[in-house]
Amino acid sequence: MRTLRDLFKDYRFTFSFIVLVIIVVMALLSFFSPFDPTLWYVVPRDLRPSAEYILGTDSNGQDIFWQATFAVRNSLIISLISALVSRIIAILVGMVAGYKGGAIDRVLTFLGDSLLVIPLFLIFIMIAMMVRQHMNLAVLGLMLAAFGWAWDARLIRSMVLSLREREFTKTAILSGTGTIKLVLKEYMPFATPLIFSTLINNMSFAIGLEITLALLGLVNLNIPTLGTMLNWAYFSQSILLGRWWWILTPVILSLFMFFALYWLSVSISEYLDPRTRIQRVGA
Amino acid sequence: MAEKKAVILRTENLQAFYVLEMQGTKKVVRAVNGVNLEIYENEIYGIAGESGCGKTTLLKTLFNEITPPLRLIDGKIYYRINSDEVDVTSLSAEENRKLRMEYISYIPQGSMSVFNPVLKIKGTFEDFIGSHVNGRSREEILKLAHKRILDLGLPQNVLDVYPHQLSGGMRQRVTIALAASLNPRIMIGDEPTTALDVVVQRGVIQMLKEIQQNLKNTIILVTHDMGVHANVADRIGIMYAGKIVEEAPTEKIFAEPVHPYTQFLINSLPKFGDKTMRDSVPGSPPSLADVPTGCPFHPRCPHVKDICRQKMPDFSQVDENHKVACWLVEEGERHG
Repeated sequence: MRTLRDLFKDYRFTFSFIVLVIIVVMALLSFFSPFDPTLWYVVPRDLRPSAEYILGTDSNGQDIFWQATFAVRNSLIISLISALVSRIIAILVGMVAGYKGGAIDRVLTFLGDSLLVIPLFLIFIMIAMMVRQHMNLAVLGLMLAAFGWAWDARLIRSMVLSLREREFTKTAILSGTGTIKLVLKEYMPFATPLIFSTLINNMSFAIGLEITLALLGLVNLNIPTLGTMLNWAYFSQSILLGRWWWILTPVILSLFMFFALYWLSVSISEYLDPRTRIQRVGA
Repeated sequence: MAEKKAVILRTENLQAFYVLEMQGTKKVVRAVNGVNLEIYENEIYGIAGESGCGKTTLLKTLFNEITPPLRLIDGKIYYRINSDEVDVTSLSAEENRKLRMEYISYIPQGSMSVFNPVLKIKGTFEDFIGSHVNGRSREEILKLAHKRILDLGLPQNVLDVYPHQLSGGMRQRVTIALAASLNPRIMIGDEPTTALDVVVQRGVIQMLKEIQQNLKNTIILVTHDMGVHANVADRIGIMYAGKIVEEAPTEKIFAEPVHPYTQFLINSLPKFGDKTMRDSVPGSPPSLADVPTGCPFHPRCPHVKDICRQKMPDFSQVDENHKVACWLVEEGERHG
């Protein structure tokens, strides 16, 4: 409880917390939507925002507000799949490479470093084109996860490398603690804050890439996400025809989401670093 | 020391070297170089020596915790478990893991990072004991730890604090309590008194002695502090450059040290009423990567002879349970 109170002293945390709560509530609202998001022409087309249609309707005859609730939900699902799966990979690779060392470390570090140096975006486009028929939320999430772990695995590896040399590791080993138990029980508490903060970063990375791929038309455009909404709005000439309510909805939602995630991650990692925490909340 | 005691830990010509290969050059650090130990049940055995003479490596080897770059070159380590001698080097990793703490436990130096800094002492106790005591619930483990803590006269609330909240002496005592928690037959202490001031040292030594008397087990104490050895050890082995050079009961070794190195160590201690300058050992310990030929002490020895430069002397028995590896004894000339 005290932790939360300290965190709320930071306006950035308060802001991002409120925004994320609103976004999550929006995503939950999608379960009560009166419309099926895959059907077209369920409402009159191209209406301005009004009491009946809060955010107006689009050229496909869909209600933008309810469409946006699905978009937010699906984008969150993609980013969570990507962030959680890539965290698991990063923890496994980082811990094993750091603790085992030697040949295993070299192989895993080589793999991770390769992912860091190759231009990921081109690879994404290539893969997305290849699996386009089978593209759904899970596939997209897993694809982003498969390329999003390398940097964080490096971080965890370097952390374990330093923990391994500390005195308490020796105490634990000579007291008969097994390797798995040592890593899970003794090292995890050190890595948890780091994992949490990179989790948030990875979520915004995933949302951003999904939007990019969707704008290029490389995902299944029938599934509403922030990216596909933007794609429909953009390619239906909504800017030219002055249907600002259509294009601005996904733009503003994604902007707020990025801001919120970024500030959340910055604020939490500042809080976790004891030196900056003392500056801010005063011990 | 009258009756012959049962040997609980024995090593045979133990050789453990650090083998470092880098860019084609090979460097061998002979940290443990032919150590023969026989440690009895129900005694406190002290291992003394300067920094960098291989004490800590010997200790690691006794635990059979031999990971690269440290390699076991030769020799055997035997524990006597329920009156059977077991060659530890032949056991599997899992069997070895089970033995640690239950049979042979480690008392680290109570430095700042000896416990996991992000866990409460409670957490460390639970983790360590929990990896040996199967099927028991968390509460029972904690109760066990509580009992142990109270038995050793520590305040009960030490379990609920973080390691950095404890003072140095308290931390050291908690490490000892942890090491003793499963009633091990052998406890090995790696400089457990070094970071403490003398008053606290005394308390820690007292605690070690009490535990030893209660459990009737064996404590192997590694430290360079001859004062501590004099207080607590039953027998002392003097280590130099990866070898044991002299071994005797404590009183005997302090009364009549035979090896020139031991003489230096003991004569450098201050004595009441004696105001003459203390001599220290001249020079500095040799690099274990480049040990002098023959007796490794010869470059620093005041009584050096030709044969010292060529051959390492064998142990000769000066007295019952007093043995020394020195040519001076071998050839019947004793200085001292």
